[in-house]
Formats: sequence, C-alpha cells, structure tokens
Amino acid sequence: MSDNEIYALIIIFLVAVGTYGLRLSGLLLSGKISDEGRIRIFLDYLPPTLLLSFVTPAILKEGIAGVFAMLLIAICMHKTKNVFMSMIIGVVTVAISRNFF
Amino acid sequence: MKTSKSNDFLRGAQANVPIGVSVFSYGAVLGMICAQKGVELYQLTLMNIFIFAGTSQFIIVDMWNNIAEVFTIVIAALLINLRYFLIGASLNSLFKESSLKDKFLFMHLVADENWAVTIERSKHEKITPLFLFGGGICLFSIWSIGTYMGFIFAGFIDDPSKYALDFAFIAIFTALCFNLYQNKTNLIPWTSAAIVAYISESLFGGNLYIVFGAIAGSLVGVFLEDKRYV
Repeated sequence: MSDNEIYALIIIFLVAVGTYGLRLSGLLLSGKISDEGRIRIFLDYLPPTLLLSFVTPAILKEGIAGVFAMLLIAICMHKTKNVFMSMIIGVVTVAISRNFF
Repeated sequence: MKTSKSNDFLRGAQANVPIGVSVFSYGAVLGMICAQKGVELYQLTLMNIFIFAGTSQFIIVDMWNNIAEVFTIVIAALLINLRYFLIGASLNSLFKESSLKDKFLFMHLVADENWAVTIERSKHEKITPLFLFGGGICLFSIWSIGTYMGFIFAGFIDDPSKYALDFAFIAIFTALCFNLYQNKTNLIPWTSAAIVAYISESLFGGNLYIVFGAIAGSLVGVFLEDKRYV
C-alpha cells in the first residue's frame, strides 16, 4: 500500500469519526441541558434558520430568477403544500433562466 | 405497535424519494470527479459508508492531489460538517423517548435532506426516529448508486447545472422552510438568519455561513420571544 493510500485512509477515518461525533454530540448535549425557556426557543428556531441560511446565498446568486423561483415556491407551498411540485416549479424556473436569458 | 414502527421506516424512506433526485445527480458529479482524480472505488465506498456527508466528501476529493496534507483536509472537511452539531441538537424532541442505543444507531445516517424532511413532517404528524432512519437508508442507497454511476460513466453525464439539477436541493429546502412558518414573530429571526448567512458567505466563502446564520437567527428569536414572557 502506497503512502498516499495510507494518508487517504487516515483522512477518511478522522473525518468519519469527527462527523459522527458532531452528529451525536449535538443530540446528546441538547438532551442534557434544560429543555425549557430560552434553550427550547433556540432549538425550535434552529431548523428554519439553518434551512434559510443554506438557501439564501444560493438563491441570490441566481439573481432575479432565483428570487422569482423562491416566490413561486412560496405560493405553491401555500396553495398545495406539495414539496415535490414546488421543487419542479423552482428547478424549471431556474433552468429556463439559465438556458434562455 | 410494531407495525406502526416499521411503517415509519417505510414512510421515511418514501418521503425522501423526491429529494433523492437531486441527491442522485449530486452523487454522480462526485463520482465523476473521483474518477478524474484517481480516487479508487474502495476509497469512494469507504467515504460513502463512514462519512456520508456530501459536501465534505467533495472537499476531500477536491484536495486529493495534496493528500499528504492530512491535517488541512480533515479540518476543512470537519468545519463544513460543523452544522451537524446544530442539526443533532435540533433533533432533541424527536429522540425524547428513545434509548441511548437508538440515538447511537440512528444519528450516523442523518444528512441535511432527511433531517429537513423529518423536521417538517414532525410539525404536522407524530413520527418516531425510524422515519429519520428510513430516510437515511433511502438517501444512502441513492447517493451510493449515484456516485458509482458517475464513477463508471464519467464523461457520460452532461453538465447537470444546465438543467438546474443543482437547484433542486435549494428549491426543496426552501419549500420545507416555508412549511415551518408559524406566525409573524418568525419574520425578524428568519430575516436575520438570511442576512447574516448572505453576508458571511460573501465575506468568508466556505460553508460556515450556514452555522453563523442559524445561530444569529435563533438568538434573535430567543431575544424576541423571551421578552414577551417577562
């Protein structure tokens, strides 16, 4: 086995252990601390703020098409609650703008 | 009781199929890059099984030419995965009645996608962690097949960005996020998260903006809602 193969195995091992550690410790620590008041509010806000933080830069990078796609997704979700349809609408909007504008 | 539990596993797997379309294409792109960079099939497989976190796998493969820089690569990959700490923390109420064994077993296959689908579903229905795990198995299968297809047919896949397949993630996450909206109190914390994420992404690049945005927005939420109790 070459040096590079050993380096690769060490990297994969460390990242695997570290990533699993992050996943598990987040859950275990949040179970240990008090589940009321401010911490409850903080934990409740994490999912939507994580998702928004994910998508905002990517949407703005698409420019007007991205913002337009987001509005269509919002309307579609409000009317139908259908995630798959909302995805199709968002993807088609961006694909059209990338290919034709 | 047993049937409802196994149902949760299947329902979780089914609920992740739509987002699997973009997971597949994302995996295929990774597989293609692996073939180009000379990553061996067994190395790709080890990463899929034991790391199971797409973006960090991209980072590792991206730095494959300088594989001897072990420390740099590990830190870069783990910084990107820092958000999994917050994702784990946000799953607290789902695992409320679970044993320690279940927590150890189910947390490994938590990815952004099945987490988002599970959190959204748990707001409307009572579900168990098996829903999350079923989604994880589903995504793991789709992701692995996608990477192998990309690896084998490298060069065969046309530019996925032309069809905006890379935007499918974003569209689904946006849709799931809107479904979590409760009332007007949410608006200021949500906007704060978006603004902080956008600014930190512009300033620093990388992937830490996700963590910064989420912490900032959630703190604003705590500040606003806490005042109402006083």
